[in-house]
Amino acid sequence: MRGPLDLWAGRPARHTVAAAGAILGLASFAFTAFAAAPPNAAEVLNPAPSPSDWAALARLPDWSGVWTPSPLVNAGPAFDDPPAWTPKAAARVARMRALSKAGTPDNIYINCLPEGMPSFDLMTLNAAEFLFTPGRVTLLSEFDPNRLRRIYTDGRGHPEDPDLTFSGHSVGRWEGDTLVVDTVGVKPQSFIPLAQDVGVPNGGDMHITERIHLIAPDRLQIDLTVIAPRVLTKPWTTKRIWTRSRLRKFDIVEASCREGDFVPDTDEDGFAIYRPIVIDAGGAPLAPQPGSPK
Amino acid sequence: MRLWLGTAVAVAIASAPLAAAAHHSFAMYDQTRIVTLNGTVKDFQWTNPHSVIWVLVPTTGGQADLWTVELGTSPGNLNRMGWSKHSINPGDKVAVDINPLRDGRHGGSLKKVVLVDTGKALTVGPVSPAPSAP
Repeated sequence: MRGPLDLWAGRPARHTVAAAGAILGLASFAFTAFAAAPPNAAEVLNPAPSPSDWAALARLPDWSGVWTPSPLVNAGPAFDDPPAWTPKAAARVARMRALSKAGTPDNIYINCLPEGMPSFDLMTLNAAEFLFTPGRVTLLSEFDPNRLRRIYTDGRGHPEDPDLTFSGHSVGRWEGDTLVVDTVGVKPQSFIPLAQDVGVPNGGDMHITERIHLIAPDRLQIDLTVIAPRVLTKPWTTKRIWTRSRLRKFDIVEASCREGDFVPDTDEDGFAIYRPIVIDAGGAPLAPQPGSPK
Repeated sequence: MRLWLGTAVAVAIASAPLAAAAHHSFAMYDQTRIVTLNGTVKDFQWTNPHSVIWVLVPTTGGQADLWTVELGTSPGNLNRMGWSKHSINPGDKVAVDINPLRDGRHGGSLKKVVLVDTGKALTVGPVSPAPSAP
């Protein structure tokens, strides 16, 4: 996964290496060998978009505006059929549900690591927006803290051996007005979530397909198929519906994951700072309790 | 502000290591009970991922207990619901309905807050996007 900035950074670096080699009379063999090597993924250029590439965007469906996800049902995503968990995963789900019922939740996002896929679609309550640029769809969210996904639509495939990430590597293609997205390379720790306190780490080798399409002028549906052979005995199909607003007050704003753990204050030198507050084991803010000095 | 914040920090150090709030379940709040706090706003913490109203509730001994009232969402969504950072201000007299913490500590999640002087009521509900402009 290399972006244009990587390539810009990479080219001058090669020239720099060449110049240094010439001056020092060293490393010429190594550089020659590098330059003669067959093209590989690290050397593929992302071509500059042409005017026709930009013009082609106008033929895509209009997904502008801000999209608000449907409410979670009983604190989790709505789905027609529950995931077919392996027995071990099912036991974990039952254990986490019991903890939630007892008021001692085992939160799956509380460490503020990226929520990842498929949580990005299924568990957020925050708005998102789509950006279309040549060769790419970018999903920008308010999901703490302003998570994003890059979906490459330039015809590339997945890397053979991708560095694993929380949201994985996504490529997409347009089938009419439906964007079909294929995602692999997700870290095994990314949860398949049923609630903010119920989820199973996918365990690795997860493969997600999404079909994203309008179902009404201001309603967008994401149909997901989650294949996770380590924890599911068959693919899980589910969906999330999003509703569009064009009101300016709906514009995406900055989000953060842990600001609520602090209150603004002033230090002894008059500088504006944050001071931590007390948080209970489940994440709730706590005031100083009776018996402590006021 | 300095004084009570100092107390909060002292308690933090004296008790358990800080957990991170982040996205968290509200299972620690008793969804089956509603308690009404009648008090005065000490601060309105307009923060991500959740905002918090700090309320001083008078006690029979002439003192006041400090309560946290957690709002289940962020400023971005609260703006979309019609709130702003000025909706609640320090010194406001309020009646706040909460789902209290199950363990009896002085905290809860917001069901409804009424500004006593104006009668205005604010709740945290689903975001309802308005239809697009024609």
